Amino acid sequence: MRQTAELLDRVRAALRGRTVAEPGLPYVAPREPGAPGSAQGRIDLFRRKFEALGGTFLAGPAAESVIPALGELLRAEGVTALFFPEEDPASRSLADALVPFGPFLLVSPADIRQAEPPVSAGIQSAEFAIAESGTIVQTSRGGTSLWPGLASDVHVCLLSPDRFLDGMEDCLEALSGDPPRSISLITGPSRTADIELTLTMGVHGPRRVIAVLPSS
Amino acid sequence: MEPRVRHFVRNSEKAFADRQLQVALSRTTAKFLENRAAAVAEFPRFEGARESASRIRQEALDNLDAHLARFITEARKRGAVVHAARDGPEAREIAARIAKEEGVSLAVKSKSMIAEEVGLNGALEADGVEVVETDLGEYIIQLAGEPPSHIIAPAIHKTREDVSRLFEEKLGEPYTEEIPALTRIARRRLRDKFFSAQMGISGANFLCADTGSVVLVTNEGNGRMVATLPRVHMVIAGIDKVIPRLADLPVLLSLLPRSATGQALSSYVSVLTGTKRAGDAEGPERLHIILLDNGRTGILQGKYREILKCIRCGACINVCPVFQSVGGHAYGWVYPGPVGSVLAPLILGLPESSPLPNASTLCGACGEVCPVKIPIPGMLVELRGDEREQGLKTPAEVLGMKAYASVMSRAGILEAFQRVAGVVSALLFKERKIERLPFAFSGWTERRDFPAPAPQPFRKLWKRQRGIRPWTR
Repeated sequence: MRQTAELLDRVRAALRGRTVAEPGLPYVAPREPGAPGSAQGRIDLFRRKFEALGGTFLAGPAAESVIPALGELLRAEGVTALFFPEEDPASRSLADALVPFGPFLLVSPADIRQAEPPVSAGIQSAEFAIAESGTIVQTSRGGTSLWPGLASDVHVCLLSPDRFLDGMEDCLEALSGDPPRSISLITGPSRTADIELTLTMGVHGPRRVIAVLPSS
Repeated sequence: MEPRVRHFVRNSEKAFADRQLQVALSRTTAKFLENRAAAVAEFPRFEGARESASRIRQEALDNLDAHLARFITEARKRGAVVHAARDGPEAREIAARIAKEEGVSLAVKSKSMIAEEVGLNGALEADGVEVVETDLGEYIIQLAGEPPSHIIAPAIHKTREDVSRLFEEKLGEPYTEEIPALTRIARRRLRDKFFSAQMGISGANFLCADTGSVVLVTNEGNGRMVATLPRVHMVIAGIDKVIPRLADLPVLLSLLPRSATGQALSSYVSVLTGTKRAGDAEGPERLHIILLDNGRTGILQGKYREILKCIRCGACINVCPVFQSVGGHAYGWVYPGPVGSVLAPLILGLPESSPLPNASTLCGACGEVCPVKIPIPGMLVELRGDEREQGLKTPAEVLGMKAYASVMSRAGILEAFQRVAGVVSALLFKERKIERLPFAFSGWTERRDFPAPAPQPFRKLWKRQRGIRPWTR
């Protein structure tokens, strides 16, 4: 306490005699011309941005198209294990529906917590999707776990049509006031360019991100 | 990191002679510039965002007392323990105490330049704490026992061959020149560390005053693992990282990744507010935030306050022709390139870092790319003036510059000089170059020729071409 008080004193002393700047306002980014106004427009823009980042976007009737296609993608990635947060019934039913398209084993997050885990897909409902940047948002609200997007090889994000937002501003506004402990904005897979600036996917997190928007 | 700023000239000579380094630099610097240029071209609002970001950062600094106090209050309200460190030694002491009190024997760390600035790892290791760097670049240089050479890509000075030999030697992994394979080795090696560490250490890209939030931006995803998996999270950040509002983030984040790596947005942005709450699935039970001064209040007070607007994107470093030629290690401290050439004299002292303000061609590129509009070239000139005031220039240099200034500011005298120089030059230097300059100027011609004065001065040609003075026709 004493140290922080001293620090603030030093800052005050350094600013003595300042000309106080006008109280600023948060910058509100003007929308790109032709920014989507409709729900479908937001979904389309999200899809475009998300795919440009290397993401895979699957939309359509769940049983007929989305689930078989997802199963095929996961098999092609060599996935053998699926996991999902206990408290997320939507991702659990997606995982259950995927099993016949496997061979996939339903495992618990603890099974992924090892040095050489099976190749896994973490399945999870996303809280929001930001159209402008193709970003998936997950927060710790309601006991939601970050785990499926943290340490899996493939991250499967379950979207719902009413959770698409225009920009990051809208997302932060929806969460401001008393923000949850953790807000994660996820834009594309885990990547690095630390060796010779050569882009490589899947450093610590998922090498592939798949967004799923099943229609009822 | 022990500063070796004074040896810039010697370090640069070494860098020029280092073939491996020159290969690494040639493979990377152009890529950085291309990526940024493409990202800016795709974002028509870039200039507007720059202006706004500059204002947000200026506002944060001009009212730093209020914003910092607010940050401390809000962070504490949400369970964080906030510490303040006056300088490096104090920061190290606080960090070591935290590690001891929390019973930490293994810590995983996300890339943090501020931790390099204070030498954090060394302090913890001296107390028996194993600190593992988890950013791929930092992991590589930690294995090599080297400091970072770039704030965004710390191992940019290493080729894939270097990295592979290092992994072979230190980890016993088979040699491979495949970069994805090298990356997989790091993933496998570090995974277990993430799960068994008791403490995660990170810096902060921003601290939001109105919510007490810590913002971390990474591409690899190690930042959020460090801040989520271990029981304790320790954040170390300069007081200049404070921004007034969480709502300021979108504009700052529209610039940081574009300027740094040429991405519209980095893969992972984490906004972390306080400790794990009742009902949360995961998160640290303890959150320590160390706010570092280390000379920053002094900078805040003086004429270089604007350098504290810096958001550490590295754009000025990448675009600098000096950095492109000598790499980051030559600068001898954590922050290379133009931003480092301003920060080092201000934090370490000008006598300690006197060569750096001169490690610039004053081409102005750093000022042009800066996303928060810091007038870096002007600051470098100003620092050269400070060098003179503090008696750090040789009398010959001071006298020479004085004479130069008095000639350059008088058109008549300049013309007379040029006329004489033109005649002399035509007689003596038929090849239009001077191979050896005398006295204080000899350094210039040690490695290159000096262009001889033109027989016809430019001013004369100009007048003739444009007909400004008819009688010269």
